[in-house]
Parts: sequence; C-alpha cells; structure tokens
Amino acid sequence: MIKPAASSEKKGAVLSIKTTIQDSIRNLLKKGMDQGVFDAVLIPMRVPAGDSFSYVLIKDKSLLNNAVALPPIMSVQGAKAVSSVTRLGNGTMKIAAVMRPCEIRATIELTKLDQVHVENMTLISIDCPGVMPILDFIREPEKAIKLFENATKSWDDTIMRPVCQICDKSSMIAGDLHIGTLGTKKDAFFIISNSKKGKDTLEKLDIPLNGNIDSWQIKVKENAEEKQKKRKKTHKDLKTKIGHLDNLLDTFSQCINCHNCMRVCPVCYCRLCYFDSDKVKHPSGEYLRRAKEKGSIRFLPDTTLFHMGRMMHMSLSCVSCGSCEDACPMSIPVAQIFSMVADETQGLFDYVAGRSSGEPLPLKTYKKDELHEVEDAHD
Amino acid sequence: MNRKIGVYICECGPNISEKIDIDKVIEAVRFLNDIVVVERYKLLCSEDGKKYLTEQIKRYGLTHLIIAACSPRDHQLTFMEVCENAGINPYLFQLANIREQCVWITADKEEATKKAIRLTKAAIGRVRCHSPLEKKEMESNPDVLIVGGGIAGIETSLQLAHSDRKIYLVEKTASLGGLIKNFEKTYPEMHPCSISIQQKIETINKTNNIKIFTDSEVEDILGFFGNFEIKVKKNTNEKDSVSFNVGAVVFATGSTLFNPNKTTCYGYGKFDNVLTALEFEKMNLSGEIVLKNNKTPKSVAIIHCVGRTEKGYCSEICCMYSLKFARYLKDKIPDIKVFNFYSDLCIPGKTHQKFYEQTQGKNIDFIRAKNIEIAKKGEHLTITYNDEKSGKNNYDVDMVILSPALEPTADTARLAEFTGISLGDGGFFAEEHEKLGPVSTSSQGVFIAGCSQGPKSIPDTIIQAEAVTGKILSSLIPGKKIEPEVKVSFISESFCIGCKTCLDVCSYGAITFNETKKVSVVNEVICRGCGNCVAACPSGAITLKHFTFNQIYQELKAAIQ
Amino acid sequence: MTKALKLTKNTEQGVREFVKFLLEKGNVKGVFTLKKINQKGSVAYSLITTSDELNDAVPFYPLMPTNAGTLLSRFTLNGSTTEPIVAIVKPCELRAFIELIKREQGSLENIYIISSTCGGVYPLKIVAEETIEKNLSQYWDAVKKGEMNENLRPACTGCTEFTPYTADITVDLIGHNNLDKECVLILNTKKGEELAKEMKGEFLERELDKETLKKFYDKRDAAKKKLFNEINTKMKGLDGLIEIFGRCIGCHGCSTVCPICYCKLCEFDSSDSEYKPSTYESELKRRGGLKVPPGTIYYHLGRLAHMGISCVGCGSCEDVCPVDIPLSIIFKKVGESIQQIFEYIPGKNIEEKIPLLTYEEEEFTEIEE
Repeated sequence: MIKPAASSEKKGAVLSIKTTIQDSIRNLLKKGMDQGVFDAVLIPMRVPAGDSFSYVLIKDKSLLNNAVALPPIMSVQGAKAVSSVTRLGNGTMKIAAVMRPCEIRATIELTKLDQVHVENMTLISIDCPGVMPILDFIREPEKAIKLFENATKSWDDTIMRPVCQICDKSSMIAGDLHIGTLGTKKDAFFIISNSKKGKDTLEKLDIPLNGNIDSWQIKVKENAEEKQKKRKKTHKDLKTKIGHLDNLLDTFSQCINCHNCMRVCPVCYCRLCYFDSDKVKHPSGEYLRRAKEKGSIRFLPDTTLFHMGRMMHMSLSCVSCGSCEDACPMSIPVAQIFSMVADETQGLFDYVAGRSSGEPLPLKTYKKDELHEVEDAHD
Repeated sequence: MNRKIGVYICECGPNISEKIDIDKVIEAVRFLNDIVVVERYKLLCSEDGKKYLTEQIKRYGLTHLIIAACSPRDHQLTFMEVCENAGINPYLFQLANIREQCVWITADKEEATKKAIRLTKAAIGRVRCHSPLEKKEMESNPDVLIVGGGIAGIETSLQLAHSDRKIYLVEKTASLGGLIKNFEKTYPEMHPCSISIQQKIETINKTNNIKIFTDSEVEDILGFFGNFEIKVKKNTNEKDSVSFNVGAVVFATGSTLFNPNKTTCYGYGKFDNVLTALEFEKMNLSGEIVLKNNKTPKSVAIIHCVGRTEKGYCSEICCMYSLKFARYLKDKIPDIKVFNFYSDLCIPGKTHQKFYEQTQGKNIDFIRAKNIEIAKKGEHLTITYNDEKSGKNNYDVDMVILSPALEPTADTARLAEFTGISLGDGGFFAEEHEKLGPVSTSSQGVFIAGCSQGPKSIPDTIIQAEAVTGKILSSLIPGKKIEPEVKVSFISESFCIGCKTCLDVCSYGAITFNETKKVSVVNEVICRGCGNCVAACPSGAITLKHFTFNQIYQELKAAIQ
Repeated sequence: MTKALKLTKNTEQGVREFVKFLLEKGNVKGVFTLKKINQKGSVAYSLITTSDELNDAVPFYPLMPTNAGTLLSRFTLNGSTTEPIVAIVKPCELRAFIELIKREQGSLENIYIISSTCGGVYPLKIVAEETIEKNLSQYWDAVKKGEMNENLRPACTGCTEFTPYTADITVDLIGHNNLDKECVLILNTKKGEELAKEMKGEFLERELDKETLKKFYDKRDAAKKKLFNEINTKMKGLDGLIEIFGRCIGCHGCSTVCPICYCKLCEFDSSDSEYKPSTYESELKRRGGLKVPPGTIYYHLGRLAHMGISCVGCGSCEDVCPVDIPLSIIFKKVGESIQQIFEYIPGKNIEEKIPLLTYEEEEFTEIEE
C-alpha cells in the first residue's frame, strides 16, 4: 500500500541536467537497470511511423535511448498499459513505470478493483503541462512536437486537451516517486519520494534525500491555485450550457453509441459493459411500444442513459485524464462533463480518485455514519 | 418454446369471490398469448382443489401454471408440489397474490378487480420467462464441531453425544471447564461446583464419540451447512494440524472480563489488594482470603458495574456473584465488614431476590454510588464516591474487589470471519434474531451458545446449550439429504473481470475468488439468493436464478402497462 | 419490365408521403428511417409511428451515424418484428443486415425494405464541423449528374456496390436530373407491389437505368483501384502493417460499430486475449522490448479473418477510429480479396451460404492436388 507522505514530510533530491531533462531521466532509469534496482521499465516510445507514441515494456537497455518520459500525447492511458501487464498478477520482474500523474492515479484506483498489481512496480510520475489532442499530433507530428516542446518550457496549456487546461492535479504525487521540473534552478530537476518504496529505490540508486524542494512546492501550489480558479469558472459556464434535461439531451444527441469513451477510459474495467449486454437488447415489441408512446424514438434509444449510467458507475474514480473526449468521433465534450460531475461526486465523500491506495472506494464501502445531509432530510 | 399456460383464479371461499369480479379477470387474460385455459375454482388449496389442478394440467398438457389466490407464504409450496406431482417443473409456476395484496387492502370492488387483473397479467408476463430449475440434494455430515470447552461447550457435547454422531470439542487452554472451574461455589445454591464440573469432564473423557482437542485452536472453517471443512492446530506446535469434516459448528467460546486497566479510577494494577472478580474467585478457591502482606482483611469493598459505562450494557451476572462474594467473605471471615458499591442492582429471576435478602445483614452494606475513586492510604485503600442521598463520602477498606463487565473473547472476530457471521452489540456473536433465532446465526449451520452470544448466567447457558442441541438434532439428521437453495446467483465466467465488488457485498460469504481464473465464483449451497451481488456488479455479469433481469422486467411491464 | 410508381413530388418528399400513407393506412405500424434530431444537421435513425414525426424524416441523407444493418438486427434479435414496419436503408446497410440474418442475428419477416442507388455518405466529422448543410446542394448536384464527390468517406468513393440487390422498393437516384420534380419508386418484389397498391400516383413500368449506372460504376471502380493500390504499397509486409497500425490505441471502436461484428464478447476482449505475467516476462526476455497492451496488429488480422468474408465496405470503422487509420480501405480490400475467391458478394442473396462457414467437397481442388 502506498501511504502518501504529508506535504511537509515529502523528501526529495536535486539532480542536475547535463543535456536534456529527457536524457537525465533515461540515464536514471538506465542506472536503475544497471544496478538491478529495476528489471524493466514501462515508458512511452515513439512508434516506427513517427505519428504516435505507445507504452513499451523495456528490458533491453539500449531501447531506453528512444524512450520519452513525457510524450505530447496520451495514446493509451497508462493505467491500461499497467493493467494489461499486471492484471493477472505481479510477476517476478521489478518494473519502473514512468507516467503522468493522472495515469498513476488511475492505476491506484485500479488497485482497489483488483485490475492491477503494483507490488513489484515503482510508479514514477512527472510534472505534466498537459497532453495534446491526439489528432492534432497525428496530422502533423513534427509541428506538434515543436509546439509541445515550447509549451513545456513556458508551461502554457493552450494547445492541450480542454480538461488539461483546467487540471489542478498536474503535479499531484500519488505514486512512489515524482520528477519535479517546476520551480527548479536552471539545469536541475527534483526527484521526490512519496513512499517507503520510493525512498528505498532512491537509496539503492545512491541518491540522498537531502534536497530542498520548497521551490517546487511553492510553484506547484501557485499553478494549482491558478488552475482551480480557471476550473471553477469553466465548470460554471459548462453547467449553464448543459444544465437542464433539454440541454443535456441536446449535447449528447450527436452521440452515435460507438462506446469509444467507455473503451478508452482507464476506470471502465468491465469485460462486458452493462450497456453492451443482453439487458439493453429488447424485443421488437418493446421498441415499437416505446415508439408508439412518443410518436417516434431514436433507434437505438437510450443514448443519454448510457452516459448517465457510465457516469454513475465510474464517476467516483474519474481522474479527469480526458482520454474519452479524445476518442469521441463526434467531438462531444465528454471529458469536460464527466470531469465536472466527478468533482462533485468525489467531493461528496471528501474523496480524490487515486490520491491514496489506502483510501477505499466510497461506493463499495459501507459507513454507518455518512451522508447525513442527504439522509437526515428524510427523517 | 410452445408454452401452454393455464390460469386458475381461486375464489378462496368468499374471501376473493365476493371482493372482485372474477369473470372480468378471466376475460382480461383469456386471450393473451400462450393462455390455453382460464378457470375459477372454489378453493384451490383443498384436497379437491389440488386434484382438480392435477387433472387440468394433464387434460390441457399445460407447460406453465398460474394461480391467482393467496400469498405465496401460504401456499407457494403447496402448488409447487402439485406441479411437481403432475409433471410440471415446480419453477414454471407463479402465484399472483390477489388476496393479501389486493382484496384485503381495499373495500372498493372495482379497484380491487383492476389490481387483480394487473397482478395476474404480471404473473403471466413473468412466468413466460421462467426456466425450469432442478432441486439439488447432497449428503449431510451429521458430526459437529464445538469451539470452546466451557460449560456451554461441555453441555452441548454431552447432549449431542447421545445421538450417534462424532463431536469434536476444541479448547484453547490446557483443560476443559472454562471460567467455572475457578469457582468454589455457584449462586444461588452456594453448592460446591467443582465436583459437578469434574464429573461432566470425566463423562466427556469416557464418551467415545467425543474427540477433545485441548491447547488447540481452530485454524480454518470452510464450507457450508452439512459440509464444513475444519482445520485445528495445536498451539504448542503449529505443524501439528488436524483436518476433519462436520455438518454444523457451535461457537461456545464464552467471554472474558473487561480489563479494569482501561479505567484509572479503580487503581487496578497500580495499588496492591485491588483484585478482579476472577482473581478473587481463584484466591477463594485456593483456600485463604489474604492481603498482599498475608494479613487477613478486616474490610472489603466490592465494586459492581466496572466497565458498564464503557461497554454500554449490563452483564447480568455480576451483581449476583458480587453477592456471592459477600457470602464467601462472611463464611470465611465472619467479622469482616463488606461494602457492595453498585450503580444499579440487577437481581432477575425467581430465586435471586431471596438470595439478595439473605445476603443482607450485619456488616454488609449496600451503597448506591457514583463517581467511585480508589486511592491509596498507607496500607489501606480509600474509596471516595458520590451517594445520591448524602453526597460525597468515603470509606477506608483493606481490599477492593472489582466486578467487571463480560466482554467477548479475543478470537470472536476471527471465528466470525471464517463463517461469514456478524458480530452484534458489544462485539459478541450476532444471533440470527433476538427472539426468533437466539442461538442461530446468519450462516446456516453455525450456532452460538453461552456467553459467546452475550453475558449470561449458568442456567441460561445450559438453556442455550440445549437449544443448540435441539436445533442440530432437528436439522442435521444422519442420512438426511440437504436441499440447498435453488434460486441462487450465477456468475458468468466469461464476463466476470474479477473486481471483487460482489465479494464485498455478499453477507453470507457465498462468493469466493478463483485465483487461477481471476473470476468470482458463487458457492450455490451457501448462497441465499438475496441478490446483492447482482445489483452490485457493474457489468451485469451476475444473474439470480428465478429473478433474472428479464423475468422482473416482464413482470413489471405487464403490471404497469 | 418492373412495375414502378411515380409521384409528382421531389424524391425525398415523395418517399415521405409514401411512408406516411402506409402508416396511416395501417399497412405498416412503424417507419425506420433517418430523421433530423437537432438544428446542427445531426441525423439519427428513428422508429417513427406517427405522421407528424415523419415530417422530419430525411430518408436519403448523406450520413450514416450507425450502419442500419446493426440496428435492424438489434430490432429483430429477440424475434421477428411483431408488427410490420418499413425501413429505408442504404444498399450496404441492407447487405449487412442480410449477412447478419445468415448468422441468426435478425429476421426480415414483416419488414419492407426501401433502398436507393446510393451516392455515398460524408464522414461523421462533418457533423462536428457543422458544415453538412452547406455541402448538401453540392452533394445532390453530383448525385443527379452521376458524378464523383471527393468529400465522401473513402469507402464510398471506392464503392461499386451502390445498387441494392434485395430491396422491395428501389429509388434510382444516381444520374437522374429530375429528382427535384419526381419520385419514382421501382417495385422490385411482390411485397413491394402489394405495399404500393393503393397509393395515389402513376403506375408505370420502369427499370434501373443500367447505362447511367454502368458509367458511374466505372468511375467508382477506377477510384477503388486507386485507393486499393495506395493502400497496397503502404501495407507491404509486417513493416507495412506496423506503419499503418502503429498508432492504433486498441479501443476496438471499429468492431463496435462494424455491422458484421456481432459477438457479445469479442475474442480480443475476452480472457483468451490476456497474458499471464510469466508470458510477458518470457516474451520480454526474447525480444528486449514489448509494446503494451500487446496484440495490436493481431487484433486487426483476427478481425479480418473473422468478418472479412462479409465486409460490406460501409466505412463505419474508419469514421469512428480516434487515430484516423485508413481502416475502411484496408478491410474493404482484404474483404473483397477473400470474397472474390468464392465469387461471393456479401448480402446479395439471402439464400447464398457464407463460404467460410460452408463445407463443399469439391472446392480448392487445385490447392489440394
């Protein structure tokens, strides 16, 4: 179990960047493999055609030369990659996984659902400026790489996914280690430990935890506050736009029921989604009856029901990564809506998805004393 | 499937026939799909009625049966039996309750008729989706595991041993007897009790079909009523582990005393000559009542209700044994001054009032006190307290005996977990129902007796031991086959993704996780068909037999259309 | 010569009135067709039971939000329709439905089919771009003139199966200049004739304009060959497949929207496609690096093997792909290659058995010998 250290207790080290931050990270991972701290690394790599990135499990150190710790896009949500490797167990390899904070948070959520096993994994996150919509990258890869590089330097989020632009958790540490690139001096970066495993890993790598990370914490807090303001305003506007059933139905009217959003969502783990099962397959008489009642029904009906149902099932674990919106062929602002609702459902239980593996899932956990504001109203 | 549904509306004497227009109901359903016959009959549950149904089933070659009559609680089984005998699978039958849930709740004939029509249509809609379910039968193991060798365990063992079955008695200490082996006498008779307990233990030792494990603990309990798999290990040697099968389990693990260490006001563990009840019993049994400096005490205070506020319940026996202590003291040290400090006196039962009155007298004071504090005063102890009449007061005594609350033993939680039963108030094993099931638990085949269920006296313990015996004798008959519940859950292996959400919500421990296949599996014998797992599974991979999505959906649809 | 019914309305209005008539007369209890659902030009298939609601019906709209074959299959999955309906669908959607019926995934009973010679559909992203209304006049121009439209789905650009085979009633759109003035319903089957019997209009004899259609066919065929050649060069060998499918994120959206992919739980989503950690470890030892999740290309090859024989080339797969992989042309090409071996056109003839599922003793003797 990863028990996060309190803010004041987080320990870190300051490491120097000789060439680029990416190189430094690669060297650190190589060192880890050399010393046997890690047997393998899970990290994104550019695909041969150059038009995307994908997660690769690397055992051959030389492949690390092409690894990219912070690619401009999120093709597959990292938690899904971790799940494909560890759903059926831990294995014997010690793996270092380098992912974005929301991917780590999704991984933590999946530990609570038995969909990943991370006892042999060291989860390493990195300060994240956001992620570009995937089609923006695919259409002009080289241009996109440059745009992303500049955005990382200036921490400017205008080219990023809409939910990234209002993300206040882009430096949230939920794993074992975190690479801090904010608030650093020139040519330096932080590596921060968040768990016993993280601490032990750094010890084995001969990295003493005696650096002052105050400047990182200050900058992160600053960024988060700014984003929170933006988030609040954006959510207010969004609520006006989709508030009331008519607006909601209109927003989802373009949905073609492809279920891409559900499939790319790291939290949607069901092998067969309820909304793909026999339970939503009715006989013709049923559809005709409904059509007669209303004069006409969309076929297939219950489009918005799918989204509301999915929301009900996964909202408490939504990490607002935005993969759903990227995958929607009809450009419905799914992530923005789901992320906004997640803030409220999670807020109801003082829960933040993926913040700590020790926090049980609110929906599955019975607490005798809870939700008085809802229950007492009925006494 | 070629369905032939027969619908029979019971007049139930005047009960139904005078309260609804049965002919209207017949007309409303006569022409629905698959209906081959709709009839009314005077009293379907009578012998004639059952004969009539059988004859109708054969005559029309019915495949499904609908009866609109009374509550399933009355005659569901009656009519299921009729079906079975007439060659229809008893689960291809549905009973529409048009009596208790219809004519008995309104005097308005028109409304009642309308509702009766809806209920009958709902039953028809449902029965079309029914699947034939097969009864299962399995051999039950008649043997019994009794955990705890105190009087509850001893008594249950002796009672059950007469019935030709193996009894396994597991005791974690070195000897049988439980708490009672520390007592010189028991109230209210004040007879020496060690002899009788010794006799019982000797009988057990001689009884061939009782196998005793001392210095042993139950390591694991797997399985279900009629077929539990037990593992017992020796405390002294972990590797010394024995496995055997039984049909029922009795938890007679007794209780232990609240540790007065948890309260600072009594000076327990701090000052000399402050004893717990058990320590005093042992001292009394060994012969002499003396102080730490070997002198004879001249005055003793007995404090009732120690830990009562902390525990939140009254332990039933402490006032009585505190009176017993006063007697012990008076018998051994006639001039001794005894103070009984109590917050409330609990003296229930037909003989106890007399015992109390006979404990009154010279030099035994009963003081109703609050805010008791014990302090050291030289070689003595001072008791400061608040008397409701005279306010703050104090007394000096030589010895203080604390009568602490009874609390569950340390292994209660672990044993409960093995069998999926809950802990109730006070952390004792939860009985199935305070009045209707005091010695059963939510797990069929797991029983509780004695102080493991809650603080109680020896007579009440014996009563529970005998109750458990009765329960086991009537349900676990050697050679009898058990019929596990048929309407159980079923998890689709191909659709289950192994998130274990269903495991968390199953109150009966009926779902286990197959580590190889990484899917959840329902134990059909333990499952009670409550449906929690069906609702909890986000993927809908779990179905409840006889309560499938379609069956419920069609029933609802027909009812509200 | 085939009977036909001519209505002096523009084609879309004529069809609308025809189905209204059928609904009002009670010949059908529902109409299944595309309908406008919001002001932005979004359409969706709808099951319509009242005349009023039919006013928003747009039967030949150049958009395919879902392949209607899937929808008709879902409608009749649990049994044939209890009441007669008329469905207005595109040729590839009809063929998909027929292929599904061959696999017990639906029933034609009590369903009247109206189809048309099809001018193709636009990619779905046109809805988000909100430009479809602008494009409509350009679309119909091209259809009326029998000309190519370069803004369609690639699958439509290269589609040579734009003539429906088994519809009860066909509307010939391609190359007909007077779609604005008249609506001709060609009554192909007895069912179609029965249906149109009492409708007010001019009954005449009409066939599909084979010459015009042939000219159009040649244009489409040329375009198809070009598309196939392009993809062929890209797809050479494993390296080619890695180039094309490298950016696939394994969302399986393609199989979700594919009308032919009907499995409740796809093999590639099931536990059969999960690997134990020990397997990962041994593969990793062998190869040094492993893409995770694995099986990207394997999934596509598997899907090709499973459904290629029935691929109707509708192009829904490519429209839903979040990373713009040219799926429809790949699947169309490989699908047609398999189909050609058996001289099989999916969905053309409901009596024709699916070749890969049918054992013929005298077959492939040249390979066997």
